[in-house]
Formats: sequence, structure tokens, C-alpha cells
Amino acid sequence: MSGRYLLSKVGQAIVTIILLIILNFVLFRMMPGSPERILGRNPNVSAEAIAATRERWGLDKPVFPDQLVSYIIATANGDLGFSFVYRGLPVVDVLADRIWPTVILFGLGEIIAIILGVALGAYTGWKRGGLVDHLGNGASLVLYATPYFLIGMTLLLVFSVWLGWFPTYGMYQVGATYNGYFDQLTDFLSHLALPLATVALGLIGQYSIVMRSSIVETLGEEYITTARAKGILDRNVLRRHAMPNAMLPMATLIAINLGYVVAGAITVEVVFNWPGLGTLTVDALTARDYPVLQGIFVILSVSVVFANLIADLGYQFLDPRVKA
Amino acid sequence: MTTPALTPDQVVLPRRPHRVAGAVGVFRQIIRRRTGLLGIGILVFFTFLALFPTILVGPLQTATTATGPRMAPPQPGYPLGTDELGRSILNLTVHGARISMVIGLLATVVTVFVGALVGIVAGFRGGRTDATLMRITDFFLVIPTFVLALILAPVITSLFGTEGEILGIRITLFVIVIVIGLTSWSSTARIIRSQTLSLKERAFVDRARVIGSSSRQMMLRHVLPNVTDLIVANTVLVFAGAVLTETTLSFIGLGDPFAPSWGQILNSAQEAGAPGSGAWWYLAPPGVCIVLVVLAFTLVGTVLDEILNPRLKGRR
Repeated sequence: MSGRYLLSKVGQAIVTIILLIILNFVLFRMMPGSPERILGRNPNVSAEAIAATRERWGLDKPVFPDQLVSYIIATANGDLGFSFVYRGLPVVDVLADRIWPTVILFGLGEIIAIILGVALGAYTGWKRGGLVDHLGNGASLVLYATPYFLIGMTLLLVFSVWLGWFPTYGMYQVGATYNGYFDQLTDFLSHLALPLATVALGLIGQYSIVMRSSIVETLGEEYITTARAKGILDRNVLRRHAMPNAMLPMATLIAINLGYVVAGAITVEVVFNWPGLGTLTVDALTARDYPVLQGIFVILSVSVVFANLIADLGYQFLDPRVKA
Repeated sequence: MTTPALTPDQVVLPRRPHRVAGAVGVFRQIIRRRTGLLGIGILVFFTFLALFPTILVGPLQTATTATGPRMAPPQPGYPLGTDELGRSILNLTVHGARISMVIGLLATVVTVFVGALVGIVAGFRGGRTDATLMRITDFFLVIPTFVLALILAPVITSLFGTEGEILGIRITLFVIVIVIGLTSWSSTARIIRSQTLSLKERAFVDRARVIGSSSRQMMLRHVLPNVTDLIVANTVLVFAGAVLTETTLSFIGLGDPFAPSWGQILNSAQEAGAPGSGAWWYLAPPGVCIVLVVLAFTLVGTVLDEILNPRLKGRR
């Protein structure tokens, strides 16, 4: 990998993040009520905290460039202001509690969806035109057209309410006491099952559609014909020759997709009352808790920018032809 | 032996009749394919619902005009059951068709307009304009635009207020349209730009330049007609995305309870605890409608792409 390529990609990511913070700054000042009033209106923030924040944010100085510069420095140092609702807690502390449930839910969901989506897409693409292809592709299209929360509501209705196999909401049984670590884990997993299935199903449709068309595209390539002519087993042609090349577009899709997955994350968590960033977003939205909302925006966008950066750099290893 | 110089206006190709024939031909090609026919059929059905909801199920029921029992399963008089206020779900769902489709349509128009404008200008101008516009486009491609939409909604609401109507549409719905438009134009811009880049090098654009057409004229008369196919195919897919985004925004509470779209109905269902109490009749009708409409647009969009995109021809 050339150093220049690496540098330019990292540079682009940094510029994007700075633009994000500037956008956030502008929005913060367009919000109903100035930051001054927002701070003053919050009865839970002490006078000293307000004075300190005024100084840190440079609210006595002109908006541009002083306030903007102070804002960027404050954000870079992890100061995202104070929540209105959560007893004037710093936004960073409010977010910190909610990140892990979301990371677990979506990290696992992505992994499951990638494995199953790639497998389904590769298989249907390989057997294109057959019955499996029609059924698999049809199912993928329907899943793709279904909003996450609708998948979640359906699973909840069938598996929690009608069949009673899984609990309906939360991450742990409310007020439960556990006989040891294993008990707690079981409770956690039974709460995790349905939201996780929702996330995975929501993603599988898209991944399998892209993987299928990608496989179909490689099938026309000469190296596939060559591999077949050499007498390699059909399934090995698929696994060793077609799939590695067909996987390339997937890497980009998965990274770009992250920005959209966030939208799904929010709704899935609402359906199952999963205590992650998604439910926090909706609570903040209902309570008009702008500082928290903006903190969520910063955290999510910065993670998505990083994920894209990693995908860009990883692409080099996957595809040696990319030498930008 | 001087030939009179042609003014740019004289160099107009007789393209209008050709276009119309092309559009009819493309439509025939769409309905010749099974998936295309299915998609068109679903869309015709929902367009019908959206055009005549009052004739089909009477005026939209509100909390005060609701007549049914509360949260009741399907029964005579209420074929799809009732909600927590006693409104007929059938009534809400049919009226929801109009609201969902109109918001989707307007948001698509905004999205495609901004995307095509940015794409054509960036591709045609090139240089620094292109670099700047594409930087902005990439920015919007990368960031989670949905969360941006959540933050933008209250900002735009505070700019416009919550009361009143624009073009007969409640202002809260208009906010959703603008928010979707502002946050989802980037991929359209990318697609249109790359096509413009290749068009710019074609001989007919050079000819137009030689006879002294202005940039604006070249973009409007020579580039735009040639990216129309692409814009149409993209529009259909954008529509699917717009309906999904509207549904999701409404579901998490940014919709308008007085103009219930399908997403708004599902939001009310969630708030009323319908999933947990097994009220399937509250979830299924709006849910099925959303899936069918998005599926139909995706099918038609894919078929259109196959027909219009020469690279894909002959590949199935």
C-alpha cells in the first residue's frame, strides 16, 4: 500500500470529521433558543458549571471564528455539553452507558447477516434461474422492502406474544436476581435473541441481493471458464474462484451501509425497548434534549467515517488491482 | 461561399416524438417482464387508493368521529379491526396511502432535483466546482443522514412553525419532505455526474460549444436530455427509499398524528402497545402496504435499470 494513498484517505476522513463538527456547530446555533438560553434554561446545571462552560465554549466572544474554534476544541476533548433531561449530566456520560448494548446488538447482527447474506447470495447466484434462486431472491427482495421495525414487530408478535418463547422487552428481566453469572447470561441472551434476529434479517436481504448480482457477474469471466475446464469441482469453483472476487463489492457495501443501518438501529431498539443509543435518540427527540441528540450525531457519524476509512484501506488488501 | 452561421437555437434535434415513442416502448418492455408487471400492478392499485380514499372508505376518521369499539379485532363493519380510539384500521390505512405516497413523491422530486442539478453542474463544469461539489456529496454519502434528518427536523420546524399549510399540505409533512430531500440526494448526484462526464466528451456537445452555446444551454439542451433515462430509473429507486425513510421518521415520532401515514399508524400502534397485546390487525394492514409499495418500486426500478442500462443488456 502506498503511503500517499493512506495519507490522502486519512486526510479525507479528518476533513469529513471537522466538517461534521462545523455542521453540528451551525445546527446548534440554529436550534430553537441560543446555547446561552439552553444552558440557562437547564435548572440542573449549577452556576459554576454554566460559567465554566461559557468560558470553554467562548460564548462571550464573537461566533466566528472564536466560538467555532472553541467548539471544535471542546468537542475534540470529549465535551459535548449537558443533557437537559438526565439531571444535567454531561452528555458524554449519558452516551457512555448506552453505547455497549447497541454495539453488541449491531456488531453481532452485522456478522450474522454478512455470513448468511453472502452464503445465500452466492448460492442463489450460482443456481440462478432455478427454484432456489427464485425463492431466495424473492425473500431477499421482500426483506429489503421491509423496514426493520416491522420485522421486529412481527417477530415480537409471533415469538413473544403468541408462542411465548422470548421476553418482550428490555435487556434483562426487571428486578431479577441471579444465581450466578450463567443465569444472568441466559437471561441476557433470551432478551437479545429477537432484536438480534431482527437486525440480521433486516440486513440479509440487501447483502444477498448484492452478493447474488456480484456472483452472476463473475460467472461470465474467463477465469471461471478456465477453472471449469480444468475439471475443478463445481463447489470449489464457486468457493475458490468466484466468491473471492465477488466479495469485493460487499466490502464497500457493508461500509457504506453503516450510515443507513443506524436508522434501523434506532427503530429496532424502540420496538424491543433495548437500552441502547436508539432508544436514547427517541427519548432525546421526544424531550427535545438537543445536546444529547447532537452528541449521538457526532458519535455515530465519527464511527461511520472510521468504518469507511477502514473499508477503504482494507480494500487494498482484498484487491491488489486497486492502486490509487 | 459563406454559409450563414447557425444560431444555437437552430441546432435542435427533433427529439420530442422520439422520446414519447421511447417512453411507450420502455413501458411495454417493463410490463412484458413478470416482475415489472407485478410492480406496475401494485403501484396502479395503490395509486387508485391514494386518488379516491374518501369514495372508497369515507372521510378520514378522527378521535371525535370514531365510531367503533376500542382495539377490537376484525368484525362486521370493521373488516380490519379498530385502533385504541375506535377508528377503523381499514379507513386509516386507505387514507394513509394518499399521505405516504404524496410525501414519498414530493421527497423524491426534491431529492432527484437536487441530485441531478449537483450531478450535471459538477460533471459539466469540472475543475474546482466539481471538486467542491463532490466533496460535499461524499460528505453526505458517508455521514448517517438519518440522524442528521432527526436533528434537522426540529430546526426546520422552528423556521417554518407548525401551523398552516403549503400547497394544501400540512407544514409538518412539508418538513419531512424537505428533510428527506436534503439528506438523500447524494447518490443520485454521483450517478448523474459520472454520466455527464462521459457525455461532455461526445462530439455533439463539442459541436454545440463550437457554435457558441452557453454552458447553461449545453447543460439544459444537450446533457439533460441524455441523462433523462438515468434520472427516471434512479427516481423509481429513490421513491422506494423515500417511502421507507418517511415511514421510519414517522415511526419514531416525527410524523403528523393528524395526517396519519402508514408509518404514523405504526407509531400509534407501538405507543398503544399493539405488538405486546397481540393486536395483529393494527400492525398488518399498514405494514403490508409499506412492504408492497417499496417492493413494487424496487421491482420496477430494477427492471428499468436492466432495460435502460446498456451494460446490463443480455445479462439476466
